[in-house]
Amino acid sequence: MTQQPNPTPRFTFRTLVLLLLPIILLAGVIALFLSTGGGLDLESAAPVENLNIERYNLERNMIELHVRNTGPEAINVAQVVINEAIMPFTITPNTSIPRLGRAIIHINYPWTYGEAYGINVFTSNAIGFGVDIPVAFETPQLSSATFWGFTLIGLYVGVIPVFLGIFWFPALRTLGRRTMTFLMAATAGLLIFLGLDTLAEALEFANEVPSSFQGIGLIGIGAVATFLLLDAISKSQTDTSGDDSQRRLSVAFIIAVGIGFHNLGEGLAIGAAYNVGEIALGTFLVVGFIIQNITEGLGIIAPVLRDKPSIGRLAIMGLIGGTPAIIGAWIGGYTPSPFLAVLFLAIGAGAIFEVIYEIAKLIQKDTQREAMPMTVFSGVLTGMMLLWVTGLLIK
Amino acid sequence: MANKLSRRDFLKAGGLTLLGAAGVNAVSNIVHDHDKGNTKVLAAPAMQHGDHDGVMPNTVGEVDHEKNGFNPTDILTDFDYGEVSTLPNGQILREYEIVAHNKNIEVVPGIEYPAWTYNGRIPGPTIRATEGDRIRIHFSNGSNHPHTMHFHGFHPGVMDGVPGSGPGGNVLPGESFVYEFDAEPFGLHLYHCHSFPLARHIAKGLYGAFIVDPKVGRPPVDHEFIMVMSGFDVDFDDANDFYGVNAIPFHFQNHPIQIKVGETVRVYLVNILEFDLINSFHLHANFFQYYPTGTSLTPSEFTDTIIQGQAQRGILEFTYRYPGMYMFHAHVTEFAELGWNGMFEVTE
Repeated sequence: MTQQPNPTPRFTFRTLVLLLLPIILLAGVIALFLSTGGGLDLESAAPVENLNIERYNLERNMIELHVRNTGPEAINVAQVVINEAIMPFTITPNTSIPRLGRAIIHINYPWTYGEAYGINVFTSNAIGFGVDIPVAFETPQLSSATFWGFTLIGLYVGVIPVFLGIFWFPALRTLGRRTMTFLMAATAGLLIFLGLDTLAEALEFANEVPSSFQGIGLIGIGAVATFLLLDAISKSQTDTSGDDSQRRLSVAFIIAVGIGFHNLGEGLAIGAAYNVGEIALGTFLVVGFIIQNITEGLGIIAPVLRDKPSIGRLAIMGLIGGTPAIIGAWIGGYTPSPFLAVLFLAIGAGAIFEVIYEIAKLIQKDTQREAMPMTVFSGVLTGMMLLWVTGLLIK
Repeated sequence: MANKLSRRDFLKAGGLTLLGAAGVNAVSNIVHDHDKGNTKVLAAPAMQHGDHDGVMPNTVGEVDHEKNGFNPTDILTDFDYGEVSTLPNGQILREYEIVAHNKNIEVVPGIEYPAWTYNGRIPGPTIRATEGDRIRIHFSNGSNHPHTMHFHGFHPGVMDGVPGSGPGGNVLPGESFVYEFDAEPFGLHLYHCHSFPLARHIAKGLYGAFIVDPKVGRPPVDHEFIMVMSGFDVDFDDANDFYGVNAIPFHFQNHPIQIKVGETVRVYLVNILEFDLINSFHLHANFFQYYPTGTSLTPSEFTDTIIQGQAQRGILEFTYRYPGMYMFHAHVTEFAELGWNGMFEVTE
């Protein structure tokens, strides 16, 4: 330290210049490259164009396409072909769509309920961009009825199963310490399964995100940021109160948050699926669905079984875990956006993996008092197998 | 939809069933109320005819005929009899200058297609002669691909314009060749490029009609029209995206052909459509006499619909009894809705 000429670094004008120097040089290189082509022959035979048809909206005798130009240059929409017929259309705000700009194409078309349509949008460079409408029906518009419909979906998908799981609380409380550790391990297993599932869904949605929005990178940002943020919160809480039961309660809350994000992603998917007409029927699926998701509630309460959390707290945890499904269904139903879906699913994955980490720490504390390696092994495996087998039975 | 089933698919299924239970009826009822509010007005060109709230396929806008260098309506009656002179033996000589070159053609409004053309137009010039005339074609290749002119009709092998038939079978960029033969037999024929790859060379626009009138002539009519049926594969997937008569889709739907009640009409109809097996012609509210390939002066059929395979052609003769707007189109209805649709406007 004493040897250094500048013991306290100061931000001087010289530092500023040195910082800016590479940036100025960079600007020069870019200018040179743009003006000369940098010695590379970058003329392409055909223009690179990319038009994302983000969603469609069906009203009676009308089809509306929401498109976004995700190519490097402006795109001109020239003609629209629906099921092998060239159709007149109008486009707002403009036929020419700038890079990353959006436009809405309206086509008066007498579509028929329940039939399938293939639409091809031709740009002026004769490049066609297609979208399929697998089952045509009127897109739900924002109204009290659809609002209530989506709310009900979310209620069944998220809130009810989570609360049903929480109702096990009184019974499970009577169990011994070893069984409780087993349940925690099982919860970790459940969450590992859910986390992988959430990640897979995020990756699936990432394919639908326009390439310029870098879906995979978005997953990384969402998941890592959430993981580290929850970790930081959990650490700061441990610092303020060393109380174990307090710590377990906060873990339960974080589990609820993680499951909440997971359910938000599911709500989004369901809402969006409803909008694009991916309707599969079969009430037995619903029953299976409740059976599978009841484990989410179980997961939330597992860490606090040995404590006495108030009913109010349990209810809040249930709401945190379940209601996001409703919010997700609203968002997915009214403004389906693969971008948001990826972001929420990534946050969900980050939250779930952080929770697994927290539970692992809790289990470690238990196993320090009393070694029970097989309990942890069988618990985690049971948790994973529970979701896998229920899935197997239903699918 | 019957692909992999993920947990999400399963959730969708469950959730949607529940929505059903929760009253989708209520949902769709509400949606119906939205119908009344915002009916949007189309920017469809003129000539939306018939049922007024009926929607009809059409392109948006109008192609720039001037820039294209040809107008399908003008092509209807543009018969090229060539530079006429008499040979020492008394035979009529008809000479033509034909240049093949690359040219961007606005095939539908807003879409320019990198076409290959004879004399800058699609179809190429309608070459018309009388049976027994000598045809001399000064063909030069102004493009950057080898091209030829292959005529249907009687001629020596070296004039066939196919690879392997000599210099006329592979005219390289910047080179030229003179095709010379007698116009035989009488009828309605065609010519097209025969370079490899053949389908692409034809589909890109290198084709035209070749009419050989019988020595005795055909009975006079009030109107003679040439109609060349073709299509454009603008995205190069070997499937046509647009169809039309005299190249431009919906041209005669938007610009009906004007005729009068009682007038006799003769249509020289050629099919040079690539990629699709057949093409057809259907005339509304009327029947026509049909002369396949035009090689006989006696009609073979009295009908309102005919089918032509690739390079098949024939002559149609008809008269309208009543005034009105009458459609003519491919009864391969997919082609009709992708552009091969036109109208006759018949007035008193």
